[in-house]
Amino acid sequence: MSGPSVGNAFVGILRQERAHPALQDQVAKLFEESRQDVYRYLLTLGLAPPRAQEAVQEVFMRLYSTLKSGESIENPRGWVFRVAHNHGLQVRARQASEEPFDPGIESRLMATGQDPEQSLLERERMARFHQAIEGLSEQQKRCVFLRLEGLRYPEIGSTLGISASAVGEFLRRAVSHLRKAGHE
Amino acid sequence: MSKYETGHPGDGCLLQYNDGELAAGEARRVERHLEACWQCRTELDELRATVADCVRYRQAVLDRYLPPPPRPWVDLYEEFARLDATEAPAALPKRLARAFAGAAQWRWAAAALAAAAILCAVFLQLRKAPSVHAAELLKKAVAIAESQPKAVRHIRIRTRTHQITRLIDGAGVEPALAHRDADAPAIQALFAAAHYDWDDPLSARSFQAWRDSLPSKRDEVTTVADPERPSESCYQIQTAAESGELASASLTLRATDLHPVESRLEFRDREWVELTEIPEPSMSGTPFNEHLEVPGRPASPSLPAATPREPASISDELQVMNALHQIGADLGDPVDVTRSGERVLVSGVGIPPQRQKQIHELLASMPRVDVQFSEPGAVPAPAEPDAGGRTALPASPAAAGSAQARLERQVGGRAEMERIGAQILDWNESAMARAYALRSLAERFPASAEASLKPAGRDTLEGMAREHAAAMLRHVESIDGAMTPMLTALGGSASAARAGKPDGTWQTSAENAFRAARRVEVLLSVVWGATPGDSGAADLPSALLTALQQLKAELEDCQRLLSRNAGG
Repeated sequence: MSGPSVGNAFVGILRQERAHPALQDQVAKLFEESRQDVYRYLLTLGLAPPRAQEAVQEVFMRLYSTLKSGESIENPRGWVFRVAHNHGLQVRARQASEEPFDPGIESRLMATGQDPEQSLLERERMARFHQAIEGLSEQQKRCVFLRLEGLRYPEIGSTLGISASAVGEFLRRAVSHLRKAGHE
Repeated sequence: MSKYETGHPGDGCLLQYNDGELAAGEARRVERHLEACWQCRTELDELRATVADCVRYRQAVLDRYLPPPPRPWVDLYEEFARLDATEAPAALPKRLARAFAGAAQWRWAAAALAAAAILCAVFLQLRKAPSVHAAELLKKAVAIAESQPKAVRHIRIRTRTHQITRLIDGAGVEPALAHRDADAPAIQALFAAAHYDWDDPLSARSFQAWRDSLPSKRDEVTTVADPERPSESCYQIQTAAESGELASASLTLRATDLHPVESRLEFRDREWVELTEIPEPSMSGTPFNEHLEVPGRPASPSLPAATPREPASISDELQVMNALHQIGADLGDPVDVTRSGERVLVSGVGIPPQRQKQIHELLASMPRVDVQFSEPGAVPAPAEPDAGGRTALPASPAAAGSAQARLERQVGGRAEMERIGAQILDWNESAMARAYALRSLAERFPASAEASLKPAGRDTLEGMAREHAAAMLRHVESIDGAMTPMLTALGGSASAARAGKPDGTWQTSAENAFRAARRVEVLLSVVWGATPGDSGAADLPSALLTALQQLKAELEDCQRLLSRNAGG
């Protein structure tokens, strides 16, 4: 290592130390924008609401630690979902003794007077769509939900440990299945 | 000539086009095709309508009907401050040392070291003293513990010569169990001598009480990996006492909720006590015995201080894998097996309840195994129930020039093509399940790890691998038998398969077989129109034939290596 590059590294590390407030702002802003999305994703993964909320906070703290250590993250939102997914699986495995999260969406969707803004027909349609979503395989569901959160195929693949082309295939099958529900 | 001038893009390709996932050239070709093709434009519109349904579902159902977060969101800045304050003070010096480690010119190195030393000194001064961290952390941990209902916890207590497990309910020991522990009085005497609370030994309150009683002490707070879940972090408070029976004590608090998970007391006479919270499922209520130590390793009643726990061994993992293999739970079921500290954790994703029950029963008799599933109500379908969804190409006279269209014509129409396609993709799915299982064994038990197994363990491992390889080869031969005549009729011919190394290991061969299987999978999905591929239509039959031959060769190689081991 030459003299100037040692100097650069030195300055870089000092800058990193000083840059914590900027990092904190960056992570806090992303937290503000994405926490609800990550929370919802973790609920769909099967986490109980308190566990999901804790997991969201934990993931953003990890993001902060990672950025602080000098690691560069190209797409922080994609990173957050990837880490949230993996962390969520661990949490879900640990919460086996707890009451599993049951959204009971279908019954609430069809409950009369639940939401006057939604027409009965629309609620019936959404209930059918919900059933169709429930009928997807776990991988297909994960692909659909992550795609809904704006992740690209390679990011979804990296989250689920599969190739981008496999993501394409899971999504194709999922959309084909959901399309039938939309036509019923 | 564009390939879409003579055929239609499949719905997978249209979805990727819609998602902006196609390469620029491919996207332009699809675009040009769409300009000309009413049918595909309609397909694309319908696909977009389904995507819009998904978005509407997210807004109208998930956003509206999923429960909101139960508590207000934390102030992240406070959490940042807490993390910054408790991080190991050596982090910055370490990074500086790393940056300067490669300095070739001594002048720069000397200057750099001097600068680093000055910076470290300033930095350490500016950081809060560890005593303050320790006191603050303990205070918070006590407050959290007292704000929560007292749950029964299972605490394993080890010394050089004894090991017991106690049920602690926060107010004291359950009498029934306490009486059963013959070793308990000896350990209790140690606690009494150290003036450390025996009734609630693994708690922030007891640690705080002991620490507060010390006239003179030194604290150190570090971040360590969670002993049960190494991917998560914990704070470890280490307090050294100048006087008293205890020379030092440490308390490990989970970073997420400051829950105490581990503690270690070091006595001046070199005696030690280690307390660990253990999960409930592993408990039988009886004291742990030394014979429950890791199979294949010598029992170690007197562990050195630096090795507080004996981790689970690959033999333990192998036993679990073998048990799961007996019921086929290593195929397709998203069951994960990991070694975590001294235990083997079996966890699952979306396992049907009956299957969960079966796995629980299967592993119930294994003392060091934890089984943790969630979603008992979810029964995910592993694959599309309808074969029709698999083949994407609509029959069209315009598709006559494409490989898929020629295939369709050759097998006698679209319906027949869908039927054969579904059958072949099913075989492929089964082959891939075996490929993943075989590779998983090769990754978990590489040749070096296998060598450390006892002969019986090696036989078990290789028996499983042989079974996977043989089953996979059967599925591949079925695919080969069905596809080869069709591909040959389309003008395809296989190139010679590359031979495996005669002196390789079955693990390497399994990895090669996995890669070859992935190649076959990709080409099959291209041939059956499931995904767009990078192979030109003219080369596709030859490419697939070659890939199939290569896969068969790799599998035969793997079987040969496994048989050689069995013979020797």
